[in-house]
Amino acid sequence: MKKFLTNLTANQKLGAVALLLGFIALFTGDPYGGTTIRVNEKDIALSTVGNSDKVSVTELADWIIKDKADFELIDLRNEEKYNEYSIPKAQCIPLVQLSSSELQRNQKIVLFSDNDVAASQVWFILKSKNYKGVYILDGGLNAWQEKVLFPKAPVSNSKEELAQFEKMKEVAKYFGGSAQTDSSVSDSKPEIKFPTSNNGNTKTTAPTGKKKKREGC
Amino acid sequence: MTSITKMVTEAFEKDESHGHIHIEAKPYSNPYLVGIGLGLVLLAAFVIMGRGLGASGALSTVVAVTVNTIAPEHASGNNFYSEYIGDGNTNPLMDWLIFQVLGVLVGGFISGTISHRVIKGIEKGPRISSKMRLFYAFVGGGLLGYGAKLARGCMSGQALSGGVVLNLGSWAFMMMVFAGGYAAAYFIRRQWI
Amino acid sequence: MNAPFFKFDYFNTDVSLIIAFAIGIAFGIALEKGGFGRATILASQFYFTNMRVLKVMFTAIVTAMLGLYFLSVIGFVDLSLVYLTQTNMLPMVVGGLVAGVGFVVGGYCPGTSMVAVATGKIDAVVYVAGMIFGIFVFGEMFPMVEEFFNSSFMGAVTIPSYFNLSYGLVVFLVVLMALGAFAAAEWGEKKMAAKTGKEKV
Repeated sequence: MKKFLTNLTANQKLGAVALLLGFIALFTGDPYGGTTIRVNEKDIALSTVGNSDKVSVTELADWIIKDKADFELIDLRNEEKYNEYSIPKAQCIPLVQLSSSELQRNQKIVLFSDNDVAASQVWFILKSKNYKGVYILDGGLNAWQEKVLFPKAPVSNSKEELAQFEKMKEVAKYFGGSAQTDSSVSDSKPEIKFPTSNNGNTKTTAPTGKKKKREGC
Repeated sequence: MTSITKMVTEAFEKDESHGHIHIEAKPYSNPYLVGIGLGLVLLAAFVIMGRGLGASGALSTVVAVTVNTIAPEHASGNNFYSEYIGDGNTNPLMDWLIFQVLGVLVGGFISGTISHRVIKGIEKGPRISSKMRLFYAFVGGGLLGYGAKLARGCMSGQALSGGVVLNLGSWAFMMMVFAGGYAAAYFIRRQWI
Repeated sequence: MNAPFFKFDYFNTDVSLIIAFAIGIAFGIALEKGGFGRATILASQFYFTNMRVLKVMFTAIVTAMLGLYFLSVIGFVDLSLVYLTQTNMLPMVVGGLVAGVGFVVGGYCPGTSMVAVATGKIDAVVYVAGMIFGIFVFGEMFPMVEEFFNSSFMGAVTIPSYFNLSYGLVVFLVVLMALGAFAAAEWGEKKMAAKTGKEKV
């Protein structure tokens, strides 16, 4: 055997290496790594430091107003709820359908549901699958409702808080909500009537505003 | 080594008819080694950029930009040109493929200069005139330009790059190129052998 | 480290253009060293006198394919982010035939013609002019062929997914096919050389 191998020409040796590698390929499985999940404890723990894994509702409102298109906003609730009301620019991907979605590992993804729970679950799943830019909408739709759609007047009368409240009034108007100025109502939860128009809600896939770079030849 | 190169030189000198080609007898390297080198360049492109190499796309961009400069409405109305012109925000000539092709020109020149293979001339077989060769070169180029655009790529883009990622259409294209070439080879043999 | 680097924003578009230039230089050097800057060598592929084109091409494809596959399997490269052109079967088949004829008539393909231009071949310059003309004709004719151009759309599909085979199996089969082709090429070259009594370059 050894004599046979040493007697091969250089070219044939190369061919043998190629054949060996190809043979190994038969057993090494799926290069897409899609089905397995590797949980890297340290990595995941680190990414929760300093709330770097969260996006506040006011931040998100800002992005939407500024028409930023470099992120994917995902509504994890079911379609019914999504159709009733959702944050503009959100795509509806119910948790159960997550594995068949087309989300890519290098996209910036912001997740939300009614509260934090579903978003946190999906955050964990995606992080284990090595998605790099996954964020939880802090407080979910409940916080969106409270802080963006129906911001309450500040208790103290400090200048910054009043200025901030003025700004939030405009933001609320933009999204079809209204600021709650009556302080007596602030104790009981107001009857939330959601704004009926959902501006710019896209159903699934096709990120708007991002020109697909031609990568052909 | 020198006797072999001498043989090669003489073999070619016997056949040439119009004296356009004389071979600087620096023989080419082992094709398999060259192939590995080329494969590594391809791999680098995939690992760094997530895409393969190409060539015809650069020419398409040049054509589209030229048409756009002369007749902008015609160009933007045409779905083929408009894709290469882009959305008007970025200069279409700042294109990855164009820079890559420029690199090919430079690389080819560098390698040719090192091996003394930069020789002005016309590549052709012994039985054909230079004029006919140039005519065929133009026709062949036209056919290839047309076919490559129809197939969304050329040898570098489809065959090489698409071949690496096991793209179905790319492999089909590659097989058909060989088929077309072999089929037409007989009819054009006077040009080459 | 995550690859492909560009897709993970390791550098911006401007830097990617410099990288394009550098990769192009390497590409050009590899092509020229392979003898692909010469139409006579490229064309002899089709007459079985010199099978360099087949050898270099398939070696390159196998090398890069094995490299990309194993890098993906170990998780270094995210294969789902690597660009895959869509497949339109009919136009690609027809385009391939036309391109193949163009290859043997013109003696070059786009990449190799650039190398030939860089090494002073006048026929290559004419060839490039021809290509530009061909692309122009295609562009002008486009409204007529647009439907055909977009026909038999199959999405971005790979051989493993289409034939429902494991990726690794297809990799192995491609290696086998390439080695078989090399063996046949070597044998073919020897026979042609014996027949015509010529030494190949």
